[in-house]
Amino acid sequence: MWDFHVRSLDASTILTIAALSELIGQRAGILNVGIEGVMLFGATLGFIAAKITGSYLLGFLVAIAIGGLIGLLHGFFSITLGGDQVVNGMGIWILGFGLTAYIGYPYTGPLGMERIPKIMGLSPFFFVGIALIIITWFVLSKTSLGLRIRSVGENPSVAEVSGINVTRTRYLSVITSGMLMGFAGAIYSLDYNPVWNYNFIMGWGFIALALVFFSMWNPFILLGGSILFGSLWQLSLNPQLVLPGILSRYVWRMVPFAMTIIVLLLMSTKWFRIRWGAAKPEALGQPYVKG
Amino acid sequence: MPMEGIKRGDTALEARGITKRYPGVVANDHIDFEIKAGEVHAILGENGAGKTTLMNILFGLVQPDEGEIYVYSEKVNFRSPLDAIDLGIGMVHQNRKLIPAHSVIENIILGHPRAGNILNLKRTGEEITELCDKYGYKIDLKAKVWQLSEGEKQVVEILKALYRGAKILILDEPTSALAPPETKKLLASIKAMTRDELAIIPFITHKLPIVLTVSERVTVLRRGKITARLATAGATEESLAKEMVGREVIFRLERVEVEKGKPILQVENLSALNDKRFLALKGVSFSVHEGEIFGIAGVSGNGQQVLAEVLAGLRKAEGGKVLLDGINITHSSSLERWQMGVGYIPSERVEVGSIGDFSLVENVAMNYYFDDDFAKHGIMDHKKLRKLTQEFISEYDVAAPSPNTTAKSLSGGNLQKLILARVISRKPRLLIANLPTQGLDVGATEFVQNKLIQAKKEKAGILLISEDLDEILSLSDWVAPIYEGELMGIFPGGEAKRENIGAMMAGLKQKVEVI
Repeated sequence: MWDFHVRSLDASTILTIAALSELIGQRAGILNVGIEGVMLFGATLGFIAAKITGSYLLGFLVAIAIGGLIGLLHGFFSITLGGDQVVNGMGIWILGFGLTAYIGYPYTGPLGMERIPKIMGLSPFFFVGIALIIITWFVLSKTSLGLRIRSVGENPSVAEVSGINVTRTRYLSVITSGMLMGFAGAIYSLDYNPVWNYNFIMGWGFIALALVFFSMWNPFILLGGSILFGSLWQLSLNPQLVLPGILSRYVWRMVPFAMTIIVLLLMSTKWFRIRWGAAKPEALGQPYVKG
Repeated sequence: MPMEGIKRGDTALEARGITKRYPGVVANDHIDFEIKAGEVHAILGENGAGKTTLMNILFGLVQPDEGEIYVYSEKVNFRSPLDAIDLGIGMVHQNRKLIPAHSVIENIILGHPRAGNILNLKRTGEEITELCDKYGYKIDLKAKVWQLSEGEKQVVEILKALYRGAKILILDEPTSALAPPETKKLLASIKAMTRDELAIIPFITHKLPIVLTVSERVTVLRRGKITARLATAGATEESLAKEMVGREVIFRLERVEVEKGKPILQVENLSALNDKRFLALKGVSFSVHEGEIFGIAGVSGNGQQVLAEVLAGLRKAEGGKVLLDGINITHSSSLERWQMGVGYIPSERVEVGSIGDFSLVENVAMNYYFDDDFAKHGIMDHKKLRKLTQEFISEYDVAAPSPNTTAKSLSGGNLQKLILARVISRKPRLLIANLPTQGLDVGATEFVQNKLIQAKKEKAGILLISEDLDEILSLSDWVAPIYEGELMGIFPGGEAKRENIGAMMAGLKQKVEVI
């Protein structure tokens, strides 16, 4: 039973960090639907770097760097060129999907390194995730940098008149966001399940994206949602650990997706929509053109 | 406060020979203007007179082609609003530059380094409260801006400018969208600020009486040039309007007495929800007769918009009844209502009243496509529609080069005239005019009001919805203040007291049971 929880929290950690990265970008008004692609890039290149050099540190650094680079690319398209963020995000996903399958193919198989040591049975990244949640919350709501980020996500022209450099603030957010996406991907491929496989992220990026909307852009609700989905995911993989002999495992495989539908139903209720509308960054997905 | 070293009577801001040309127009033609510390110097002009350009130049949003600006005798060169802010110029925008989802205090300190890297909300809160006490503002610093009234939002903008150390305050249409008691408070705070040697420049299109009560000097612009510089002491509303428009403007609209006819519109206990699904109209009852103007006075957001939309068939009624000439139209479609003689002039002329990319002819067709005379078997008669549009353009004095011009190229006043023309030409039984003169200059306002009076003479029943109490009081046979979705009473136009109606619009007075 404890094993199950530990394994669930490990999965939740990846969702938490991935969703948090998306949240940081979105609070600044930048939507990145290509999060799955960025995670694939980070996971694959981090995996290869670690395998070649034998250094976990180098693996993570490469993943973070490539994530930041793709964040920069997304920023260039959506901030400097003012393009459609959804279209560009889809482009990033498809690129990540195709390119990582090509690059990673020769490295198919296990990483073959000593596992990263656990802390009290838990992955150390679990604690990193919790710390990141708290730091993000603090920065967004208690610092002037956070106020600037939230302001460019709500109304960039007001921010500009107040003396804020909208372009710089948005770039800062989107690059930080990309770095964390790459990091989340690398946690998957270097710690959670250190085996390279074709399309091994399996849509976790999209789940993280949905979690951001569900969280109403609040880091703590985001954490709760991530833990819920991480647990459901784990339950669907090994139902016999928790509820041996109850229902077929095929039914359990379906649970996270059924849960998604229930969450979507809840989100479409009047109660939720009103609050959701109030919480949503007003300028999310809109390019800002200096007028 | 950055007031040290400033003496009353110092020249706070001086503009010399400001000129700005745009293709085809000279928006500002050698404008000279100065204001002293502790003074209120209003700038008056119609839409298109060059006020906005001048304002943007003084705030650094636009750079002039020629001319110089001096702030406290020092020549300045604004590259952006930030330069202007740094030199102590503050701007209170008409379309508020605030973030609705953020709290009042967050909006005030946004982008200002004094709040620190880690926000010290306690200390800044105290500083802002001090400013509030000094100038008589009351505001909850923790409230979110979207919860505030227009007047409170304006206070936030003023506080933001003051917090940033503004010595010169530009106010863009400061009293539009304010309820009368809010206007009074604003004027009192302006007086308090001038006592601290602030220089205040209100830019004003309408509501001339305000100019007279608050300012010492007035500069009037017309077509980019200064036509008059006056001391307010010697000016009257009529003389100011004459300078603005270039001809005499009749201010005292005569309420035309028209023999009261049959009831046209009867509204019984009508209620409806707004977009956020809250009950915004709570059991309203009234009736409008032939040859009568029924005025609903209210600050926006009190349910009048919802009422207009329900009557026009654009919004579902939750309860109650609407009768037109005795026929129940509560559930009729918008088209059925048009065909039965309801005419609707929406308040959002750009969003609802017209389609910007369509030509004027196509926009006129919006109210005529369902008429057999203009569309036989669904095929539109473009020739006839074009002729009709041409008639509207000349009869209503719409400044448009041709009927094929797109609607978005018209100014607000001209677009409103066109909308008015196409609605009134249908000779509606009931005319719903929702904020018909909002944002229009003196000349266009006068035109629109006269058209409403003319429609009244032709026996239409008119429901006039307005925020402008003067307009309501001078035009309406009946005045009904609306507050939070309820009519606070229905008063005969001739007897309604201004203060009374104003207080009811602001919810400061109890509802009166209607006879």
